[in-house]
Amino acid sequence: MFSRRNFFRGAGALTAAVSASAVSRVAMAALPEPVLQTKPDTMAPLVPNTGRPYNPVVTLNGWTLPWRMNQGVKEFHLVAEPVVRELAPGMKAHLWGYNGQSPGPTIEVVEGDRVRIFVTNRLPEHTSIHWHGQRLPNGMDGVSGLTQKSIQPGQTYVYEFVARRPGTFMYHPHADEMTQMAMGMMGFWVTHPKVKNPQIDEVDRDFCFLLNAFDIDPGAATPKIMTMTDFNLWCWNSRVFPGIDTLNVRKNDKVRIRIGNLTMTNHPIHVHGHEFTVTGTDGGPTPKAGRWPEVTTDIAVGQMRQIEFLADEEGDWAFHCHKSHHTMNAMGHNVPTMIGVDHRQVAKQITKLVPDYMVMGERGMADMGEMTMPLPDNTLPMMTGEGPFGGVEMGGMFSILKVRKDQKRGDYSDPGWYQHPKGEVAFPWTGALPEPARFAAEGGQSMPRLQRKDATAEVNVRKPSGHSGH
Amino acid sequence: MTTSRNTAIRFALLAAPLLLAGCASLSGNGGMTPIQDAAKNHLGATLLAASTDQDLDGIDQRVAELLTKPLTADSAVQIALLNNRGLQASFQELGIAEAEMVQASRMPNPGFSIAKLKRGDEREIERGFSFDLGHLVALPLARQVESRRFAAVQRSVAMEMLSLAAETRKAFYAAVAAEQTASYMRDVRATADAGAELARRLAQAGNWTKLQQAREHGFFSEAVLNAARAESARVSARERLTRLMGLWGSQSAFALPARLPDLPADPQDRPDIEQVAMTTRLDVQGAKAMVEATAKNLGLSKVTRFINVLELGYQRNSSNEAPRQTGYEIGIEIPLFDWGDARIAKAEAVYMQSAHRAAKTAVEARSEVREAYQGYRSAYDVAKHFRDDVVPTAKRISDENVLLYNGMFISVFELLADARAQIASVNGSIEALRDFWVAQSDLDMALVGKPSLGGAGPSASVAGTGGGAAAH
Ligand SMILES: [Cu+2]
Repeated sequence: MFSRRNFFRGAGALTAAVSASAVSRVAMAALPEPVLQTKPDTMAPLVPNTGRPYNPVVTLNGWTLPWRMNQGVKEFHLVAEPVVRELAPGMKAHLWGYNGQSPGPTIEVVEGDRVRIFVTNRLPEHTSIHWHGQRLPNGMDGVSGLTQKSIQPGQTYVYEFVARRPGTFMYHPHADEMTQMAMGMMGFWVTHPKVKNPQIDEVDRDFCFLLNAFDIDPGAATPKIMTMTDFNLWCWNSRVFPGIDTLNVRKNDKVRIRIGNLTMTNHPIHVHGHEFTVTGTDGGPTPKAGRWPEVTTDIAVGQMRQIEFLADEEGDWAFHCHKSHHTMNAMGHNVPTMIGVDHRQVAKQITKLVPDYMVMGERGMADMGEMTMPLPDNTLPMMTGEGPFGGVEMGGMFSILKVRKDQKRGDYSDPGWYQHPKGEVAFPWTGALPEPARFAAEGGQSMPRLQRKDATAEVNVRKPSGHSGH
Repeated sequence: MTTSRNTAIRFALLAAPLLLAGCASLSGNGGMTPIQDAAKNHLGATLLAASTDQDLDGIDQRVAELLTKPLTADSAVQIALLNNRGLQASFQELGIAEAEMVQASRMPNPGFSIAKLKRGDEREIERGFSFDLGHLVALPLARQVESRRFAAVQRSVAMEMLSLAAETRKAFYAAVAAEQTASYMRDVRATADAGAELARRLAQAGNWTKLQQAREHGFFSEAVLNAARAESARVSARERLTRLMGLWGSQSAFALPARLPDLPADPQDRPDIEQVAMTTRLDVQGAKAMVEATAKNLGLSKVTRFINVLELGYQRNSSNEAPRQTGYEIGIEIPLFDWGDARIAKAEAVYMQSAHRAAKTAVEARSEVREAYQGYRSAYDVAKHFRDDVVPTAKRISDENVLLYNGMFISVFELLADARAQIASVNGSIEALRDFWVAQSDLDMALVGKPSLGGAGPSASVAGTGGGAAAH
């Protein structure tokens, strides 16, 4: 499952760009072997075989970093380096990450563990790691310049502290962080409770992922790091739909999903078919008395949310960010709306100069999902995905919660499409359609405008009339 | 039998030049043969000096026949050579020069004079038979001079013919290019029209503001301007060709090919072009001939300064009072006051003048041929760069833009803006190809005579576009 490749061999292939900052083999020999990951798949939970036992998490399209115990200290080795991450089949991005992937591997420890993390810098510039949400000695907080010297290319730094409180955390650089986070440097951190905690329930399945965003021009591979708001790839763990794995659970499993937001905007994360409660933030477990049921929780920038629910409704349930642009892949944000503009004839003339021109957008954007037209290299369609009933027309932050009664305990594999019981799927009405009575008594204006302009703007409502000949 | 026939043949051969020298006759085609040969050798075209209505009818027929198909550079040249009335006028000049030469080479008519004089009772009858011996003696000289003059006229007419051909060829390429540009500009206008219409519909549907619509209209109005300019350039390029081909009336509705011929795979490599030009250029040949001729004149002046002044007459004077006087009277003009020095000096000066002129002609010819060749090579490189880089790059950009459009990353208006940016490169490539063919014509011309380098005629100027297109 994990490719435990020799560091020098494995890293050499991925980080040829920074080979000048080679790390001495002798120096490395004393360190825990860094484990690299070459695939963006969701790896099975890493069940601890040393140290305190805990119930491991599953990182969506990610993995947990193995460790070694050294005289009672849990030792991890993170290698910051350039990586190639597949955002979805058909598109690879040139990112910076840790141990072969962006985001880096999830670090799982148990409350009270003494943790020692070696951080080797194989980037072309200095870096540092900040342990978001942790209680730790100030000098271990990883803010370069403020609490430590930055880690120069080729250097390895050691961070050591006790994971004092259980909860959901993350790590990311705090040196040239605008660049380094825009390039994908981040990772998840889970501290499991040491003993039964009244605020923390036992769960059957524990998923985690980070929200991140990139701005990569169609046809390019490297994020534009100067972008502040107009990102075009909205990711979960540096993956976009249809590249995000489904969350597969057994019916009546108690499910926890931990989500951290390292984008520059908020994301209302929404689950279909179930209500959940927010059971924790990066500040710790929420008091049980203060929890309320929701189907959407907004995760602000730099925040973490831990949601829990009982997966008691079978089916394939959409799970996504509720900002509809965030469930799209890259698209033009300055493209005029063509709805209601007939330009079939006009298009013929346009093809004189642009021979491959095709009419799109007259009816809406779904044309995009239907047509399979050539795109620039290394570019995903704006909306895509073929479901059992047709095009799903999604991209970005979208996945599916699959609840199955016959899913085995501990089995995270995809069970395929849900087989709906008879009569439980919406169907087309074929009967008569009486004209509904319309409500006519509108209220007046509370404050009418005094000098009204004479004519109201002429607005034509175009209703689709039968088949429009597509 | 054999011997006597041989003797007869030998005698005929010997006599022939004498006979010819004695009495040159008209060639019968107005001295056209060398011009026709030049047309055939250099252009692969035929010439006909039209002297009669039948000739003109024949020319009309041939021209009509050539006009049934879209013109090629060669057929345009052929039409011009047959049909250009200016050239026909020069052919007649050739006829005039030939007639003068023939005239000059004929024996002078002998003169006869009779005088009857009375002096008192004395009657004097003076009869004179005079033969302009001077003329006779000078006849070879006059014939030489006249035939040189005739040869010069022939060369100049040949040159005129060749430069008409070159100008026609250039005008042909210019006309085809202008036609191509105009047709492209019409497409641009149609597309811009479509863009403007689309913008109007977007505004009508409520999806766009009037401001956005007005901005999009800009492309259209620019395209209309460009199309109008291209049309005007097309008309003048075509009219120039029409004039050179001497066409009028329904003939001027000739068809041109839709495109310029493709660029040849490789340019001609001519390291020896200057040497070749020295032997092939008519002006160089003419200058050399002139030097030789003046050299002869110089020698002749030295030899004939006495002969020139010799007059010979036969006199037979009779008088009733005196015995008949018969005999010859020979007057010799003694070169007492005119030793011929001045004449020799003049001839020498004329010789040196022609020698300098020949040198100048050669120097200029070398330079012209180098310039023409350089122009040809660089025109080739430019046209090749347009073909292999500029246009493919524009095409790549366009292809990538269509991909972006497919992904809804950009709108149709960005595609149009891109098309707008391409106008300069498409137009540039048409002009570069035209310039190559013009340079090729100039080079061909430079190998036979003085070329009029450059000057393909008017070209359509493209109005600067706002879409980042290179200003033209
Ligand atoms: Cu979102």
